Amino acid sequence: MTITIALPSKGRMKDDASAIFERAGLPIVAVGNDRSYRGRVEGHEDIEIAFLSASEIARELGAGAVDFGVTGEDLVREGLVDADRQVEIVARLGFGHADVVVAVPEIWLDVDTMADLGDVAADFRARHGRRLQIATKYWRLTQQHFSSQHGIQLYRIVESLGATEGAPAAGQADIIVDITSTGSTLRANHLKILSDGVILKSQACLVRARKLAHEGDLRIAHIVDAVRNAL
Amino acid sequence: MPLINMPEFSGRLLDEFAGRGAARIDTPVIQPAAPFLDMAGEDLRRRIFLTESERGESLCLRPEFTIPVCLRHIETATGTPRRYCYLGEVFRQRRDGDNEFYQAGIEDLGEKNVASADARAVTDAVEIIASLLPGRALTITLGDQTVFEAVVRSLGLALGWQKRLIQAFGNTALLKQLLLTLATPQPVAGLSPELADLLRQDEAALIDHIDRTMQDTGYSTNASRSPREIAARLTEKLALAETRLDGAALLLLSEFLSLELPLSEAAAALAGFADAAGLSFGHALGEFEARVAALQDLGMDPSRITYRAAFGRPLDYYTGLVFEVTQKGSDAVLVGGGRFDRLLTLLGAVDDIPAVGFSLWLDRIEQARAR
Repeated sequence: MTITIALPSKGRMKDDASAIFERAGLPIVAVGNDRSYRGRVEGHEDIEIAFLSASEIARELGAGAVDFGVTGEDLVREGLVDADRQVEIVARLGFGHADVVVAVPEIWLDVDTMADLGDVAADFRARHGRRLQIATKYWRLTQQHFSSQHGIQLYRIVESLGATEGAPAAGQADIIVDITSTGSTLRANHLKILSDGVILKSQACLVRARKLAHEGDLRIAHIVDAVRNAL
Repeated sequence: MPLINMPEFSGRLLDEFAGRGAARIDTPVIQPAAPFLDMAGEDLRRRIFLTESERGESLCLRPEFTIPVCLRHIETATGTPRRYCYLGEVFRQRRDGDNEFYQAGIEDLGEKNVASADARAVTDAVEIIASLLPGRALTITLGDQTVFEAVVRSLGLALGWQKRLIQAFGNTALLKQLLLTLATPQPVAGLSPELADLLRQDEAALIDHIDRTMQDTGYSTNASRSPREIAARLTEKLALAETRLDGAALLLLSEFLSLELPLSEAAAALAGFADAAGLSFGHALGEFEARVAALQDLGMDPSRITYRAAFGRPLDYYTGLVFEVTQKGSDAVLVGGGRFDRLLTLLGAVDDIPAVGFSLWLDRIEQARAR
């Protein structure tokens, strides 16, 4: 069996992931030219590298199409149902830090907690003729946080695929759920994070698809140990 | 086994419905998704089958019948009262159980006599189950949103707190958490000194401050919540934070929520509870008694029904009666129903249309029959 590891195909994430594998004694080389989407590990003929977009990596892990992947925990938890049953987070890699947060307009002086938001959401329809709208690309995480953890049911998700921070000012939604690393984009758009509004502290992770074939496979254990020891 | 064909007792069921004066209504399997997500909340999103039309309109496979029946009623504008029945497939993503199954039921729209319409819904549902499952011991549970609201109102809590508690009715965990907060209030955090200053002045100054900030940050044009709304809620929030429910009232509320007894004894127990606590439940108790009397008129023995004070559904369109029927010792709800007086106006009806209905889970009934 060939072991397939999916890595981010571009940007800082790609470089940081490659650096960790290098330190782990699993140096990655591209097959063909630098921009190729296939790679291999020097000295390990039975390991294949697939360079994919970060959100595809989560999906491929869930489908069991790859054995390992490096991707953000946010994408894993958003992209997969019951993520912990389908995949194992083997190691948190210390880069790609981003928090998934609930942010509301700064001027909502009366809203500091999820409970406040619950009050506002409960009254929203009566006051404005529609439900409170949340712009996000994280609908699964939003639901878990709002419905399961805080018992807030009455809101609507407006799917937003980019520039989510601009949605409240543009009138597309009332509040947002989005990722932030420093919070500066939120501040620039006059949004504030609720005091209990951090849904997930995410970073890049080495993730393993839970496959029966992995049990007792020493190469799997070796990759896990090597990466953990390189951190 | 997926239930591909209609259950063999479908014909019998339709006869039952017709005999009870309900006219069959059919609704498309493919429905606009927005009304379901709007009414039942986003939590439904992962439990329905969503798709999109070529023009980007969000569509779903019919996850239940009440909303489509009501939409159909509004669309055809046939006037009230109307008694509809339906039988057809519904589609939901379920962890256990099949993704497509049959439901059937009755929706009673526009009947102004609330007590008798309620009693009729419960009686019809119970009699139909009894005829499909002859000789089985059934558990019939009844709850009432109106009674809970009356209890909360009579405790003399601030309006904001009343709303929170009423909103949480039916969600036991959330309700417990709210009661805990009421017992031990937390000070409001996150207020800057400037803001605290403004709050000590009059509300107009606060509104003015919010308005100016909105303009300066270019947020005004699309702001959904106005400066006035934000200021009013901030003031209310500060007042609520200082509210502490005294020990006695808290005990009363928990005591009420733990009430569970035969419906035949419930009215007297509620009256006794109100008397002992020095509370007045207003109309709620009279309506409760009227419903019990109406049930008796229809030949239902109220001692067969269990009243559980904490039984409710945490959705804002349910307004009064809720009930469900299971086999004794089982959790599987065979029929569930309730009153939803707010639903039709929420869906766009011009007039207030009182409504009550129930839905039978045909797959569970079929399984119960097979055993």
